[in-house]
Amino acid sequence: MNKSGLLLRLAIVIGFSSLAIGFLSTQIFYQLTFNHEVKIAQQSITNLYKTIEATAGTAAYLAEKDLAQEVVDGLATNVVVLNAKMNFEGEEVTSNNEPFNEPRIFPISSLFEADKSIGLVTIAPNLSYIENRAKKLAMENSIAMIIQALVVTVVAIVVAFLLITQPIIKIAKALHNTIPGDGERLAFPYFHKKSELGELVQDVNVLLEKTDNQFKRERKLRQEIEGLEKRFRMLFENSVSPIILMEPRGDILLFNTAFEHTIDKLGLQLKKSYGPLLENIFCEPKALMNAVEESFAYDEIAIGEYRLLNEKSTEAFWVQVVVTNIVNEELREYHQITLHDISKRKKELETLAHQADFDKLTQLLNRQGLEKRIAHLLKEEQAFCLALIDLNWFKQVNDVYGHDSGDEILVFVADKIKKTLSPDDFGGRWGGDEFVLLLTDANVAEAKSLIIRLLTRISKPYFLRNFNENVTIGSSVGAAFYPDDGQDLQRIINLADKAMYDVKEVKNHNPEESVKFAGELTENNSIHD
Amino acid sequence: MAGLNKSIGLMLIMLLTLSFSVKGEDLVLVVNKNNPTSILKKTQVIDLYMGKFVAFPDGSKAIPIDLADGSETKATFYKLLVGMPLARVNAYWSRVKFSGRARPPLETDSQDETIKFIQENEFAIAYIHESNVTDDLKVVYRFDE
Repeated sequence: MNKSGLLLRLAIVIGFSSLAIGFLSTQIFYQLTFNHEVKIAQQSITNLYKTIEATAGTAAYLAEKDLAQEVVDGLATNVVVLNAKMNFEGEEVTSNNEPFNEPRIFPISSLFEADKSIGLVTIAPNLSYIENRAKKLAMENSIAMIIQALVVTVVAIVVAFLLITQPIIKIAKALHNTIPGDGERLAFPYFHKKSELGELVQDVNVLLEKTDNQFKRERKLRQEIEGLEKRFRMLFENSVSPIILMEPRGDILLFNTAFEHTIDKLGLQLKKSYGPLLENIFCEPKALMNAVEESFAYDEIAIGEYRLLNEKSTEAFWVQVVVTNIVNEELREYHQITLHDISKRKKELETLAHQADFDKLTQLLNRQGLEKRIAHLLKEEQAFCLALIDLNWFKQVNDVYGHDSGDEILVFVADKIKKTLSPDDFGGRWGGDEFVLLLTDANVAEAKSLIIRLLTRISKPYFLRNFNENVTIGSSVGAAFYPDDGQDLQRIINLADKAMYDVKEVKNHNPEESVKFAGELTENNSIHD
Repeated sequence: MAGLNKSIGLMLIMLLTLSFSVKGEDLVLVVNKNNPTSILKKTQVIDLYMGKFVAFPDGSKAIPIDLADGSETKATFYKLLVGMPLARVNAYWSRVKFSGRARPPLETDSQDETIKFIQENEFAIAYIHESNVTDDLKVVYRFDE
């Protein structure tokens, strides 16, 4: 049983208080009963005297000792009287030899003259008898009272238990076993539907109802959050692009599977930190850092394309880096880095750029490519020699042996160009059967020597396998120097073109005579166009 | 009205007082004129009639004379003497008779008889209406004293 339990406490309190009250009241009641009984005994002595007053008066008046003896003996027969005596006219009549302790003395008034006292009646009360009887009665009363108090106590405890404690204990137990949110409600105790306890249960149930609803709401919210988290996680984990959350110092707090894959692909070990902004995995971390710093200075998201260090293969690994500065509610700063693999796109772009600048058939620069290079050289103001090569009899070969053979011839020429040029020089197909050479830092003699060497190679017979025949292609070359002959591309080309047509008119088989420089043109010729 | 009631009440009280005093004044105790006693105290009269001390102050034995029961004069006498109704006086005597020491006074049937007894007996004493007092008698006590 619970030591601080209501029932035990109630029993103890009622028990102790009834004991204390019972003890006190029996004490008081005992004393009161005792006093009352003594008083009654004294009163009865007074009454006794009253009954014999007339006889005593007569005896005293007539000084009748016999009558007086009868009176005192009569008095002494009473239980409350121990002894009695009468005094009159100097006479004394006593009933027995008992002592006169605490005597009651009654003056005998004259029967015929009210104011006159004619003697005394002295009565010795039977004190021990009176007191014993009073004690006995008081004790009986006290016992009756104790029994009554006990009965009342027990009834009080039982009633309190049945009416208050038991329902409260029931409510308390039910409440104790109630798990908020399970929908259970407390039952009303019997006969307490409208009492304060009923109200208590009602209020508790209202509270439980509220709690239930709150629980439901919270559970729903939690489910929603869980769902959301799941989706976020899915989004994060399944992202093709690596996503990293890190502290500005470089400690990685969160990363997804894609990042792991990337690190693996780079041939690196998964580490807690790759330095601020993952600097250790980039080829040019400085550039990235500067760019990010600049963007952050303007409160912008840093976006840029950077190459990753690739220890596994020589293939370039390019990523678009998106760095976002995040400041949370506690004013702590984080960097979110997203890497988008753009290697493929980069490669495609390169291919596209290549395709745009090169001739598909000959794998030499095409006209656009050549023009770019020339523009570049012009921009750099670097001296160069532009040689324009036009094949002789190509149209005829094309007509006789077909386009495929023509293409074969073009590839053959391109091959010769590639083999003749130094790495610093460029060769390209200007269009149709026209080729261009760009010779940097070359003087006339050097240029001429190289061109003659090339023309010699081209003028060698070419064996057409499909036709089992040899064909010989000649070519005419016109060349012009930048900046000596002209300051712009158009002027240079025009001059080279003119020089080339000068040669072409002759259509010489001798390579040495198949080259003409702009400087060799006559004034007339030079202003031809 | 109030004034009238008040005066009627006052008159009634006066009438009652008058009749009582007339009666009290009426009764006297008498002895033979030859009796040496000339005056008695009330206590002495009580002792004589209640049997305590039936003698005159000089010690000579006295013979108290009473009237028979039923006499209005007797009742008045005891009322005046000891303030008791006759019933109580009789009760007293019935108690005392057994002891044998005291006896109630002699009784006569009328006042005439009483007077006659006193005239013949020197030690007799009795109560009579004052109007009946003769020369042979001597008044020794009056109630109005």
